[in-house]
Amino acid sequence: MYRFVFKMALNSLMQRRSRSLLVVLMISTSLWGLLFMEGIYDGMTEQLIANAIRSGSGDVVLYGKGYRREQDIKRAIANHAEILQVMAGDPRVASYSTRIMQDGLLATARGSRPARIIGVHPEMEKRHARLDEYMEQGEFDFGGQGKKAIIGARLAEKLNLKIGSKIVISAQNSVDELTSIVLRVGGMIRANNMGFDETAVLVSFARANDMLFMQGAVSQISILLHDQSDAHGVQESLLHQFSTIEAFRWDEIAPVLLQSRQMMAIFNQVTSGLVFCVAGLGIFGVVLVSVLERMREFGIMLAVGTRFRQIGLLIFYESMLLGLTGFALGAALGGSTLLYLQSHGLDLSLMSEGLNAFGLDSMVYAVIRWNYFSMALGAVLGSIILSTVIPLRILRKAKPIQAISEM
Amino acid sequence: MMNDFVRIEKISKIFTPAKGVAVAALQDIDLTIAQHDLVVLNGPSGSGKTTLLNIIGGLDEPTQGQVSLAGQRLTGMGEKEWSETRRDHIGFVFQAYNLLPVLSARENIEYIMRLQNRTSAECAARSLEVARKLGIEAVLDALPHELSGGQQQRVAVARAVASKPRLILADEPTANLDSKNGNDLMEMMQRLNEDEGVTIIFSSHDPMVINTAKRSIVLHDGRVVEG
Ligand SMILES: Nc1ncnc2c1ncn2[C@@H]1O[C@H](COP(=O)(O)OP(=O)(O)OP(=O)(O)O)[C@@H](O)[C@H]1O
Ligand SMILES: [Mg+2]
Repeated sequence: MYRFVFKMALNSLMQRRSRSLLVVLMISTSLWGLLFMEGIYDGMTEQLIANAIRSGSGDVVLYGKGYRREQDIKRAIANHAEILQVMAGDPRVASYSTRIMQDGLLATARGSRPARIIGVHPEMEKRHARLDEYMEQGEFDFGGQGKKAIIGARLAEKLNLKIGSKIVISAQNSVDELTSIVLRVGGMIRANNMGFDETAVLVSFARANDMLFMQGAVSQISILLHDQSDAHGVQESLLHQFSTIEAFRWDEIAPVLLQSRQMMAIFNQVTSGLVFCVAGLGIFGVVLVSVLERMREFGIMLAVGTRFRQIGLLIFYESMLLGLTGFALGAALGGSTLLYLQSHGLDLSLMSEGLNAFGLDSMVYAVIRWNYFSMALGAVLGSIILSTVIPLRILRKAKPIQAISEM
Repeated sequence: MMNDFVRIEKISKIFTPAKGVAVAALQDIDLTIAQHDLVVLNGPSGSGKTTLLNIIGGLDEPTQGQVSLAGQRLTGMGEKEWSETRRDHIGFVFQAYNLLPVLSARENIEYIMRLQNRTSAECAARSLEVARKLGIEAVLDALPHELSGGQQQRVAVARAVASKPRLILADEPTANLDSKNGNDLMEMMQRLNEDEGVTIIFSSHDPMVINTAKRSIVLHDGRVVEG
């Protein structure tokens, strides 16, 4: 019986071939577009977050107690050796890096701009933030005696600096004296993290230590995790073990980033809702029209003893065939497009000037999430059910048996 | 019992197509029809033939009175019971466009047996047997729109008879056919009535067709005037 009704459903869709094809194409292309959009937008958001995390705080960041409230260089972490030892034994931790940070001024013969002096260990940063990959010009290296500095690309543009340009960096040290050193520009870095690219002046850790009179203490320990969802656990356990530090997760340091992820999720939901209103109306319209134009056929079926619910099953099969074929086709097209864009990326270099400013690279790699598909499937199933139930109610009211003698 | 296989008692049907308008399509009809009979309902247009057939077949409800088939009361059944009674005991042939357009002639003939969940082998054997009797075995795989009007009506008769109902109701089965095809169809109905012993009630106002019946009931203005 079920097979027979299914066959009837298939036959009646085939008999209205071009109409059925149109709906299937309508559903699949809107799903394709939707998946593409979701994957690319999420890819952009994740890249923005990843860039900000990598070149900035890390997944978890440690400061000396009270530093976040008042960024005073004296609130530094002195017992970092002990902390690093604990982290080296923590399997959740992927990498870490110790940094000295102080806000100061970068001056050249032509002018000056505020700068964030960051003292780093180049080898550690290569492993950790992979800052060397962000180099736009020059080498990620501070020279034998640490006489070179690497500066943010946007800062370099603003001050019109070239490789080899002489710069003077000045800042207040930990004993409240104003100190300055003279360095040469060794390279430009662009991490597509706006704050970083506009202010960063990277110097060797030893240089920063001397200049700012840190006596071996560090301002910041940035930690990257294997799995971002461990951030809370790592934060808790470090706070528990060390009373001299404060620890923050990336989403506490930069809540805007988390918000942008949440906004994107809402945006995706709204878009998929809209797209499926269109697809749903497509199925609904086609099923409704085909029910109305088959009034006599249903009348005959009922007259010879077909139960009303068997006709319901027939209509359900028809909308299911339309909806699921459209879904399968759209999911296949969209899924393979996203798979391709996940590994090959989408080249947005034409508009990358604008994108860089927002913290994006010119290559965007798509994200694929199961919930793109499950949400779309849910919407398709919802439209299938509506496209069955409403035409059936209309059919019942129309008393199709009477349509037989009326012709 | 044999003689009142179909019992129609005090049937009236009043249509109210609009408020305050009442059309008495049938008035006080009392009839009995014997098993294995071949009965024609005849009468001018508007005399109530279709209305009466629809009430016997449960496609419409009488305003008053009741119908029974083989001693079983049909009037007042629920949707499920009525569906099953029609499916299992009554075959229908309508004036035209009887067939389900998405199914082949064979599938149309098998349709009711499929609803009854009979096996494919049983359906195939029976549809072939009936198709042979009606001379349509060559067109079994065609779709309805590929068949002539005469062939379509024969497929409709084949469907009505295939599931071996006790009663076949046919409302002007030949009205859309030329006289040759009409006569052929009636001859086949006669043969089925004899071979399979199925009781047939049909309506017509074509004198040629009326002559094929064993018994004629004449309606006029919703009343039985003869038979
Ligand atoms: N659904 C309906 N609503 C209102 N009046 C109806 C309805 N069906 C039939 N009638 C009326 O009932 C009367 C009997 O109609 P019916 O169709 O039974 O006649 P008939 O003998 O079959 O006629 P014909 O030979 O033209 O088919 C007619 O006056 C008709 O107008
Ligand atoms: Mg009639």
